[in-house]
Amino acid sequence: MKNLLLSSMILLSFCAFSSCTDKCTETRIVKKKVAILHPIANLRISVRALPARQLSNPGKIYVKDNCLYINEIKEGIHVIDNSDPSNPKQLSFINIPGNGDIAIRGNILYADSYSDLVSIDVRDPGNAYEVGRRKNVFSYGQFNGEPWSVQKMPDGQDALFLQEYTTDFVTETVETSCEDVREPVDPDITMELNTGNTSGKAGSMSRFALYDKYLYIVGNWHLNLFDISNPAQPVDFSTVIIGMNIETIFPYKDKLFLGTTTGMVILDNSDPSAPKQVSVYVHGTACDPVVVQDDTAYVTLRSGNFCRNNLDQLDVINIADASKPELVKTYPMENPHGLSIDQSTLYLCEGDKGFKVFDVKDKMAIDKHLLSFKKDMGAYDVISMGTTVMVVGKNGLYQFDASDPKNLKELSRILVTKSELYELFHSFSDKFVEKGYNLFKIRGVLG
Amino acid sequence: MKILFSLFISIMVLGSVNAQDVVVKNRFVNHTEFGGLFGRVKYSSGSQQNTVESRTSLTLQTFNGIQVSRKLGAGIILGADWYKSALINPVAAGIRYDLSGRPNARFFVIADAGYGFTWLHQDSDGYKTKGGWMVNPGIGLRIGNVSTSSFTLSLTYKRQEVSAEKPLLWNQIERDEERVYNRIAARIGISF
Repeated sequence: MKNLLLSSMILLSFCAFSSCTDKCTETRIVKKKVAILHPIANLRISVRALPARQLSNPGKIYVKDNCLYINEIKEGIHVIDNSDPSNPKQLSFINIPGNGDIAIRGNILYADSYSDLVSIDVRDPGNAYEVGRRKNVFSYGQFNGEPWSVQKMPDGQDALFLQEYTTDFVTETVETSCEDVREPVDPDITMELNTGNTSGKAGSMSRFALYDKYLYIVGNWHLNLFDISNPAQPVDFSTVIIGMNIETIFPYKDKLFLGTTTGMVILDNSDPSAPKQVSVYVHGTACDPVVVQDDTAYVTLRSGNFCRNNLDQLDVINIADASKPELVKTYPMENPHGLSIDQSTLYLCEGDKGFKVFDVKDKMAIDKHLLSFKKDMGAYDVISMGTTVMVVGKNGLYQFDASDPKNLKELSRILVTKSELYELFHSFSDKFVEKGYNLFKIRGVLG
Repeated sequence: MKILFSLFISIMVLGSVNAQDVVVKNRFVNHTEFGGLFGRVKYSSGSQQNTVESRTSLTLQTFNGIQVSRKLGAGIILGADWYKSALINPVAAGIRYDLSGRPNARFFVIADAGYGFTWLHQDSDGYKTKGGWMVNPGIGLRIGNVSTSSFTLSLTYKRQEVSAEKPLLWNQIERDEERVYNRIAARIGISF
C-alpha cells in the first residue's frame, strides 16, 4: 500500500506539474516593413556619371549600337563598351536613384528614377548628364518586391516625400490551440530576389518600349504614353487603362503585347498615339513575359513568390487573328523567366535552373527539339542580337556566340561581385532562415 | 524526461533483483487497453485572450512482453493516439509492476517510455507533422487471478511531443509548431 501511495503521488505530481494542459507554441519568422521617408528633392540632384564599378545586383539590360547598358537595381546603370563581345569594357556608371528600366533613342537614355522619368544624354558615357526630367510621372512602384510611393506630408507642406520600406525579420512565438488545421494561405509574395529583369531591343521583360516617336511605359494597371518628339523632354500625353496587373511590354509590328499576371493583352498600335485593346488571352495567375514572331506568341508562365500559381510552362499561342489568340500547345518548364526569339531559335531562361535553346520550327514538338541546355548558370533574361546572345542572371552577364545554337560558345562574362557575407546570405536555404534573418539585416547594410 | 527514464530504469533493476523466487518467470504477457486522453489547452488568438478548451482523444495500445518475475513484466508497447491534428503511433519500452494486494485485485505500476511516430498520419496540404518522445507513467488495477486473464483499469499521465511545419501565412517565411500533449489517460483493458 505504501508503494501504491508513492505511485499515486508521482502520477499526481506529473499532472500537477503540467496541469494536464497541452502546451503548443508556434514560432514564426515574419517579414515586417518599416517605412522611411526621403525628401524627393534630394534624390533629384544625384543623377550623374561616376567611374565604372562592379556589378552587384544586376537588373535589366539594354543594347544600343556597340554599347551595353546594365541596370543596377534601384541604383543606376552600368555602361559597357561591347564592340568586342569577347572583351567588354566597363566605361562608367550612371548614378540614377530608384532606377529599374531604361530605353534609348538616339543619344538620349530614358530612365525611371522613382517618381520621375529622366532623360540623360549618353553621347559620352563617361560624362553622361541629365538633360530633362518629367516629374511625378509615377506615384508608386517596387524593387525586388519592396514597394515605394510618393507621399505628401499630412501637415500640408508642398514638398513631396518618397516613402520606402526597409524589411525587418521578426521571430514571434505564440501559444496555439494545438489542433488548428487551417487551409494554407498564399505565402508572402514579396520575398523574391528578382535579379534578372531585362529590357531593350526584343527584350521580353521590359516595362519600357519605344515605337515611332512615342515611349510607352507600363504601370501596374495602365499604359503611359510619352511623346518624345523632343527627345530631351518627353511629354506624357495619354494613359490607356488596361485594368490588369501589367508586367512587361513587347512591341511587334503594329501591335503591343502586354504580359500581365493573368494573361496576355494585345493592343492594336496602328495609331501609336492611341493604342486600342484588341484581345486578352487569359491564363492562370503567373508571371509571364511574352515575345512574338510572325503569327506566334511565346509566353512563359512561372511560379514564384510573386507569381502565386504553380505554373511553370511555355505557352505557344497563335495570334494570326489578333482578336482571337488561340493556344497551340503548352510545354512544361522548370522556372521560365525571360525569353528571346530569333527566327526559328527560341532562347529561354530557366532562372537558377539554367538556360535553354529550342528549335521552334515544329510548334507541336518544341520540347523534342531542345538544342542546348546550360545548367551551370543562372539565367533570368536574354537578348539575341544576331549571332550574339546576351544572358543576364544572378551571377552576372554572359555573352555567347550562337552561330551554332546547339553549341553555344561563351564569349565573355561580367560577373557580379559581392562580398563574402552577401554570398553567404544567398547560400542559405529556407531551412536556415533563422541564421539568414541576421544576414538579411546585414544585407541591408551592404545595400 | 530524465526523471521518467530514471524511474523506469530503477523499477526494472528492482524487479530483476526479486526475480529469483518467481514461479511464472519468462511467461509471455499481453496487456491491451483502450480509453481516452483527457486534457485541456489554454491559448490566445487575436483579441480572444486565454481561451481554455477541453481536449479528449482516443487511445489504444498493446503491451507484449515477458513476465520477468512474479511482480514484474517488461515488454514493448505499440499504440495509436488520435489527437485531432495528429495520429501518433507510440512505440515504447514498458513495464508492469504488481504491487501487493489481494490475489484477485492488485494495483500495479505502469511505466512506458518511447517515441511516437507519424506512420499512419496524413497531413493536410502545407503541413508536415513529425513525432516525438513519449512517456506514460501511471497506476492500474488488475482484477482477476495471476495465472488467468484479468481485467484492468488504469490511470496514467501521458506526455507526447510532436512538431509540425505549418503553411505560411502572409509575410511569414517560416512557421513551426512544437506541441506537447499533457494528458491524463484513462483506459480499460485485458491482461493475460
